[in-house]
Amino acid sequence: MSRLSAAALLAVPAIGIGGLMAYVRSPYVTNQQMPIEQPIEFDHRHHAGDEKIDCQYCHWSVDKAPSAGIPSTTVCMSCHAQVWNKSPYLTEVRKAFFADSPIQWVRVHNLPDFVYFNHAIHVNKGVGCASCHGRIDQMGAVEQFAPLTMAWCLECHRNPEPHLRPSEFITSMTWTPPSDKAEAIALGEKLKDEYDVHSRTSCSTCHR
Amino acid sequence: MPPMNTKRDGAPSQESSSFALPVVSDRPAAAPDAVGEALEHAAANADSAEHGYGQSYWRSLEEKLGTSEYMEESRPEFPVGADLPPTGFIRREFMQLLGASLALAGATACSTRPADEKLLPYTKTPPEVTPGNPLHYASAMTLSGHTSGLLITAREGRPVKVEGNPDHPVNQGAACTFEQAWLLSLYDPSRARVLRQGKTPRAQRVLNETIASLVGKSASENGGSRVRFLTEAVGSPLTSDLRNHIIKKLPNARFHSASSNQDTQAETLRTLFGGQHVAALYDFSQADIVLSLDADFLESCPGNLRNIREFADRRDPRKGKLNRLYMAEARFSITGGMADHRLRLKSQEVLGLAAAVAQAIGGSAASLAGAAAAKSPLRGELGNWVQAVASDLRAAGPGRSLVIAGERQPAAVHALAHAINNALGNGDKTVRYIQAPIAEATGMSEVRTLVQDIEAGRVDTLVITAYNPVFTLPDDVGLGKVLSKDHPARARLNVLYTALYEDETSAHVDWFIPAAHPLETWGDGRSVEGTVSIAQPLIQPLFNGMPESELLAMFLDEPFRPAYQLLRDYWRGQTANAADFEARWESWVAQGFIENTASNPVAGSPDFGAAASLVAGYTPPASGDLELNFVNDYKVYDGRFANNSWLQELPEPITKMVWDNAALLGPDTAKALNLAPGDMAELTYNGQKLTVPVWVVPGHADNTVTIALGYGRNGLHEQVAKGVGFNVNPIRTSKNPWFDGGATLTKVRGSYKFSLTQTHWRMENRPIALDMPISELEHPSTETQHTLHRVKGELKPGIQDNLVDFDYSKGYKWGMAIDLSRCTGCSACVVACQAENNIPVVGKEQVGRSREMNWLRIDRYFEGPENDPKMVMQPVMCVHCEKAPCEYVCPVNATVHSDEGLNDMVYNRCVGTRYCSNNCPYKVRRFNYLHYTAGKTATEKMLMNPDVTVRNRGVMEKCTYCVQRIERARIDARVNKHLIKEADLKTACQQTCAAQAIVFGSLNDENQLVTQLTEDVRAYKLLHELGTRPRTSHLIRVRNPNTALEPAKAATKEGSH
Repeated sequence: MSRLSAAALLAVPAIGIGGLMAYVRSPYVTNQQMPIEQPIEFDHRHHAGDEKIDCQYCHWSVDKAPSAGIPSTTVCMSCHAQVWNKSPYLTEVRKAFFADSPIQWVRVHNLPDFVYFNHAIHVNKGVGCASCHGRIDQMGAVEQFAPLTMAWCLECHRNPEPHLRPSEFITSMTWTPPSDKAEAIALGEKLKDEYDVHSRTSCSTCHR
Repeated sequence: MPPMNTKRDGAPSQESSSFALPVVSDRPAAAPDAVGEALEHAAANADSAEHGYGQSYWRSLEEKLGTSEYMEESRPEFPVGADLPPTGFIRREFMQLLGASLALAGATACSTRPADEKLLPYTKTPPEVTPGNPLHYASAMTLSGHTSGLLITAREGRPVKVEGNPDHPVNQGAACTFEQAWLLSLYDPSRARVLRQGKTPRAQRVLNETIASLVGKSASENGGSRVRFLTEAVGSPLTSDLRNHIIKKLPNARFHSASSNQDTQAETLRTLFGGQHVAALYDFSQADIVLSLDADFLESCPGNLRNIREFADRRDPRKGKLNRLYMAEARFSITGGMADHRLRLKSQEVLGLAAAVAQAIGGSAASLAGAAAAKSPLRGELGNWVQAVASDLRAAGPGRSLVIAGERQPAAVHALAHAINNALGNGDKTVRYIQAPIAEATGMSEVRTLVQDIEAGRVDTLVITAYNPVFTLPDDVGLGKVLSKDHPARARLNVLYTALYEDETSAHVDWFIPAAHPLETWGDGRSVEGTVSIAQPLIQPLFNGMPESELLAMFLDEPFRPAYQLLRDYWRGQTANAADFEARWESWVAQGFIENTASNPVAGSPDFGAAASLVAGYTPPASGDLELNFVNDYKVYDGRFANNSWLQELPEPITKMVWDNAALLGPDTAKALNLAPGDMAELTYNGQKLTVPVWVVPGHADNTVTIALGYGRNGLHEQVAKGVGFNVNPIRTSKNPWFDGGATLTKVRGSYKFSLTQTHWRMENRPIALDMPISELEHPSTETQHTLHRVKGELKPGIQDNLVDFDYSKGYKWGMAIDLSRCTGCSACVVACQAENNIPVVGKEQVGRSREMNWLRIDRYFEGPENDPKMVMQPVMCVHCEKAPCEYVCPVNATVHSDEGLNDMVYNRCVGTRYCSNNCPYKVRRFNYLHYTAGKTATEKMLMNPDVTVRNRGVMEKCTYCVQRIERARIDARVNKHLIKEADLKTACQQTCAAQAIVFGSLNDENQLVTQLTEDVRAYKLLHELGTRPRTSHLIRVRNPNTALEPAKAATKEGSH
């Protein structure tokens, strides 16, 4: 009995702490799996999925700037002046365009202000869009796919090889590494050399 | 939440009385044991333990003298109040509030998702913009007639950093303190916003109509004979063109050019060249011997950047033979600190000195010298100095020396300087005469004429575009008086004034027109050597300001043209071939200046016969009592930067004083007058009295007192400037605007608390900032060898390697080298660091508690006798130790090493224990005691560099070697698949340094300059003996003394204790 209660006494804080640790890593806290409602019902399933528009058509600065960029309203209108140009879904887009007032999109991936993430270097070194953003082509409303915790970042920064893909498949939503394990490892090694990928884990890599 | 402390706090110590703050000055006179302690302290400092370093350095007079006051202050390591909790903010209350807010948070925080952030895209992304990447635009800034070329970094339409335009002939990439801090004034929330007539806000249309009817009426009645304009010295081709057009419209209107500077150099050259407008350009690269007659040619001013660069190159033993600088001046200036031989004398004695040198040189100079010598007799004991200088000047050979006179000196001194240069054959070699970029007379006499016209009732309309003339001009010019409501001539006068701020002048005017900041509009201007810059705007006017050119154009009574149109139309008119104007214009705007527009040399040679009248016309000022000197301030200039908190908080290069000016005295004079630093004294001059606080500066000439202009501002909405320091313009006269004798100082009751960054964090008598004669470096004496051994010797394994070694041989190995021979201490780097790294301003009271936040400080050391010491400047920021003492005391790993040797600071991990700062021997870490960035207005936030975290309260911070620049350069290089090139990566301080004293790069690349400097014979590591292995090297400053004046080894032990 006393042994049991001693075990219980030890277990309660252990479970408590463990529970808290599990909690802060849970999607509930990291804000994963929470589709965010946007002012306009923009559907990536249609654009990226059905129409197979390349990510970089709209997010064109992804390979040359820290930010992937939110497409300007002109980019929307470059197609929608021709197609669906009377659709009620797009009223707000047309309004914003003609009023020259920005559409107020809601941010989905929000890193803390002391983290400086740079899209350009990742995309240029063989990290694909889907690696961090998931199957955007299957999301009606975009949700955060990865936990975006520091542990998650470091997982790849410490060992980037398994997360690299050939640059021609950077924006591919369906690319998967070779199913053969040895082949996959070899590809990772090859790409790491080819793209000169460094494993950078110094604090100032991301925190300035 | 306390408001942001950009405001000076008048009574810091009294305010915190609830904490029973011990105030030093309130203590009873030093008890005998305190005196004994002081003696002991002095004895301890003089003991043999440290005597091997040849010289002993001291940072303040109190320290040097070991007085009891100093002892009181130095017993605790930090100044009084440094360890106190923030005032105006009670901890218990904070906890209560915290508890309440936590409870509320608990009630609402069911989701951990932070409040939604919005992402606002462009409607149409401008083609040049890639969101997230900076853009650089060439623009220009005009200060006292010189227009410099700048390169301004903009982030998504917000200018965030000013740098020098690398292609501009004067800037060559560098920028001075004023140019950089100028950006802060763009976003200043105290800028004027309302166009008003009296107290009634008006639309621009009403102003336009008023001016149109005024112009129409006066043009037909009298050709505008009752219209006057008061402008700054006009170097802008567009403005002079507008002026010419106004004169065409109103042929009898008059333009006066106001200037707080009496431009005696221009006046002299006009006389020498028979009325032509001429300017002199100096070439320091060819000058082996330089004699400066009170000329502060190394001051951090836009027009001086070329001087600084050329001079610094001649102080670098790697670049060949050193030059030698002789300096004669009253106050200790930046240039005086760089001098090999500095002569302290009254400003009025400079003429006598110049005459004696001219006499000794002979030739064309001697004829002027006789008359000059009669006006200002030379003290007998200076004969030696004069002879040594004269023979050195002669020995340098024709065209290899330079004599330069200061702008505060009368025309007679300038005439002598030019005559000596002529006699030495320096014409067309080290001195070139060019057509002056500003072809007009300017100065106080111009304003005096205007005032007389107003008094005589000859003026109906006065348009003021000059900067705040009521404040900047001496009161006896009388502008303030005629503009005041009760003056009889005022009733019929209609005054229009345009300025950035509602200031002292705007209180007197009928129409106030808020000006557009020059970064909000188009303009042009000419540099000191004539090159035309095109200034383009970086942003739409934030506060509805009106460009000066548009205001002047209203007087043309033509259809409205915006500033851009005015400028383009003017330059189209200047282009012979209109067909290719468009292409040329584009390239001018893109590169920021028009090539091949430097002024032409002047035909003819100076006529020194005419100069006799300048000497004859000179009336020496009164010579009795104290000589009162006025200087433009190193930080606020003539007051126009007084509302700039970056500059207010910048430590004055010599006194290290912030947020204040003071009556500066030499130690002997202070002793004779029974005045101590911080005393109040009554200054009597010219029948007027002013109560001033006193500060003592070593090396200040005896029987002189120096007061900086530009303080004591009382503008209506200038919240930062208000009440900082005191204004001496009320007692200044236009007859002797820069120095005059006959002043007295009497001690009065009361004391004044200055905030200085000087005595904090002393380096206790160790070999820190090394300097030595070049001969000593080449043939070191035993003492020098001892010193060099200490700062460069092998470290003992097992004792001085307290952390494991890391292999840094691959990749980049960041390091820095700071050449003390080049550094003038001008502080441009400090401002650059502040702008680049979002460093907050903390206010006078916080600085008084050693809480200043500047990551980069410049330590100023004196050596030698306190009456006539030498000065060494030493920039110190985090030296990025390979074995960093800060790292192993951090309990939360918030400061750790990077694989390239950076000592990273991770703000988000920092919990604010301050252990790191306690363990840092260099004292370069800064702690956010308060939330200094809270309460920023929306416009102020636009200034922040988005690449650097804005730190919160309770976080330690320090120099990062501009890691954000490293990472950006790295990513650019790696995306483009090459290594980071030396030219592509410069830290902010390095980038802006005109003297090129700071060099940064990878020590693994032997071709980089930083590697060569680190291996230079002069390189040493600060506090080397601690085994911290800093990545930053300092290079020993070398002097080049004249053996006739300073026998080798004479100065080594002098003045140490």
